[in-house]
Amino acid sequence: MADSFLVIDDSKLLHQMYRLIFSQGTLAGSTVQYATNGRDGYGLLAANPDLTLVLLDLNMPQMNGLEVLARRQAERLHPHIPIALVTTEGSEEDEARGRAVGAWDYLRKPFQPADIERLVTRARAEAAGRT
Amino acid sequence: MQADALPAAALHLLTFGLDREEFGIPVTQVREVIRVTEITRVPQVPPHVRGVTNLRGRILPVVEIRTRLGLEPAIVTPVSRIVVVEVLARVLGLLVDRVSQVTRLPADSVAPPPEEVVSAEADYVTGVARWDSRLIILLDLDKVLPLTA
Amino acid sequence: MTADENPFGDLLQDYVVECLPLAEQVGDVFVELERSWRAGDPAEELLASVKGRLHTVKGNSAMMGLTPMQDVAHALEDACALLARASERRGDEAAALLIAGTGLLVDLIRTAPADGHGTAAADFVKQVNGFLAATPHRPTEPEERRQGDRRGSGSTGRTDGTDGASSVVRIDFRRLDALLEVLGEGLIQQSAFAELHRRLLRRVGPCEELGELDQAVVAMEKTLKRLESTLMETRLLAVSTVFGRFPRMVRDVAHAEGKRVRLVVAGGETSLDKAVLDRLNEPLVHLVSNAVVHGIEAPAERARAGKPAEGVLRLEASSVSGRVVIRVLDDGRGLDEQAIRGKAETLGLEVRSADSAHLHQLIFMPGFSTADQVSRLAGRGMGLDVVAGSIHGLGGTIEVDSAPGQGTTFTLSLPVTLAIVRSLIVEVDRERFALPLTHVAETVRAEPEAIREINHRGVTQWRGDLIHVADGGAILGTDAPVRPPRRFYVVMTAGAKRRGLLVDRLVGHQDVVVKGLDPALGRPDVVSGTTILGDGRVACILDVVRILDGARRAS
Repeated sequence: MADSFLVIDDSKLLHQMYRLIFSQGTLAGSTVQYATNGRDGYGLLAANPDLTLVLLDLNMPQMNGLEVLARRQAERLHPHIPIALVTTEGSEEDEARGRAVGAWDYLRKPFQPADIERLVTRARAEAAGRT
Repeated sequence: MQADALPAAALHLLTFGLDREEFGIPVTQVREVIRVTEITRVPQVPPHVRGVTNLRGRILPVVEIRTRLGLEPAIVTPVSRIVVVEVLARVLGLLVDRVSQVTRLPADSVAPPPEEVVSAEADYVTGVARWDSRLIILLDLDKVLPLTA
Repeated sequence: MTADENPFGDLLQDYVVECLPLAEQVGDVFVELERSWRAGDPAEELLASVKGRLHTVKGNSAMMGLTPMQDVAHALEDACALLARASERRGDEAAALLIAGTGLLVDLIRTAPADGHGTAAADFVKQVNGFLAATPHRPTEPEERRQGDRRGSGSTGRTDGTDGASSVVRIDFRRLDALLEVLGEGLIQQSAFAELHRRLLRRVGPCEELGELDQAVVAMEKTLKRLESTLMETRLLAVSTVFGRFPRMVRDVAHAEGKRVRLVVAGGETSLDKAVLDRLNEPLVHLVSNAVVHGIEAPAERARAGKPAEGVLRLEASSVSGRVVIRVLDDGRGLDEQAIRGKAETLGLEVRSADSAHLHQLIFMPGFSTADQVSRLAGRGMGLDVVAGSIHGLGGTIEVDSAPGQGTTFTLSLPVTLAIVRSLIVEVDRERFALPLTHVAETVRAEPEAIREINHRGVTQWRGDLIHVADGGAILGTDAPVRPPRRFYVVMTAGAKRRGLLVDRLVGHQDVVVKGLDPALGRPDVVSGTTILGDGRVACILDVVRILDGARRAS
């Protein structure tokens, strides 16, 4: 089954960047969905139980990344789907808090396509290991 | 005297001159009076259209009212003016030799046009006013301005 | 990794599109913050509201490998974090620093493709560090920043919340122009079809197939016209893209002039063709800075006149029956009629009987600036006559209204969409004409020997073909008594037809705004429209298709 991803980020520029990343190399051919805010992102997460990986931006207005994670944890929604929290340097505190509410890993900006590929490889491996 | 055909109150006129004659039109039809800057000729326009000019960004057709009234085309001098009028929902400029002023005339100073002035084609003259020692020919622009048949 | 090796290099325009408005908005907030602090209002929520946007700009700049922007945004974040907790540092010094920083950030983003940002960014970071160091005792900074982020994240109130991720396409403006040109070709070809149909009809007589052909040709024209208007609509942008720079500009100019001015902007969502907007910028800058420099009085003078010390400058856009009206209003001292009268008289104008409205219009004439100092701030000394010329060149009008002691209002009226045609301007017998460049194959210096007469018509060799050449004066009826030898000919083309037009001078290329023919001008065959040239003169736009058509029919 082809990989399927969810991006939750309020920056349209980041969406463009992800699009570029998910159209090249080993990631080409994947299905990617995009949300521009935490609430819509949560809805898409709920509707897609088979996501390979979710990329969740930390800093978003109204409902930020930590709040999305906290809600997911509280509602026990799709706990097997790995969610990577996308942060910027200097937010070590947030990364720790993220793990506390169920972030599978974090991704620091600026990141490159290779960083995403590494995350995907690991996510796939863990999924395969579970089945 | 067709007094009932004329307005009861005073007439408010803008008077302008062509050669030695003076003409008057209702001030209500006049938007403004401007100096003559460049009039650009446009090829193949109907008769009596001298060209167009730039009025603050708007392209204003300029009518050669002299030829419309049977005179030779105007020679532009420093006192020539373009009278910008709004007639039949159109805005046009009339090129005249000089503009006199805005005059108020009592209605009873207007007489019907004398026989010599009126002809089948010249139905645009509605009357003649005597003022001071001058004779002002009153024009009906609605009839002057359809430039083609 | 440098910006050059950045894998997202192609997304530079997207970066600018996203981050430039954010940076400008942050700048607006800082200007507002400065006013609040001066009025004694700590405006903490305002300060907190910029965090999300600065963070986004910082993150995006980092992703793009644009270190200077990243550093400046980071420095601004640090400064805001300090000001959030150290209330005693809030004030003019801090505000000036924030405003200068955002100004720098905006400039950096705007020039993003350019290399060599120099030391400006590094200098600003140093400045901020100096500012930060002046406050002792920095408790758990990361903690503060995180808290601030959370608060900021919750209340940035960003308005671009639309899920535009998949419904918006970016397109280079020149592509749109290219599309319109191709469409123009299509329209010409369609009219060739129409003509062919007419000829067939004459030769063969009416028949069912020709009737259907006629319908198809008409339908094609309708479709192409619809395509044209849809394409023209894609060129529309919101006026706010131009208005955006004014809050900071007004603040800077007012500051330099020792005046207090509040800018109110309304109607930013009104749309205008991008080509118009691009050329509206300079005239608006001039009008706005004019209002601040000459219109609005110094606080003391305003107080004496019983006005509040702070002047109000309004920039309003609205759309009214197919035109966009932009108004620049100030509540300043109004136009000085005495000065205008005086200046008019020195210029030899007759103004004794002129009324106010008349006098006001005079300020658009050359030589009329009653404030002779060419102030650096007042739009690089762009006179009002040049402003008027620019507006007219856009197919718009500009008027002014004023009452002494109460203020001045400039009203600009612009067409929403423009037909702009890149044209060759030629001169024939001292008259100027515009030929759309899509119909110009070449311009050639006319050698008398090269043009021969066959059957009373001129012909010449052009690129291996024999083409007819006609005198511009004759075609355009310039009515000159003597026809001098013309120096050039322009090879006009429409479809497969070619013809040379003899002219006196090639004046140059120009983008001309096409204005339709007034009905009073009837239906000239050789002219398709008129336009106002750069010098304010009207020129006719030649209908090359009709001219070439007519020529063929005449032969």
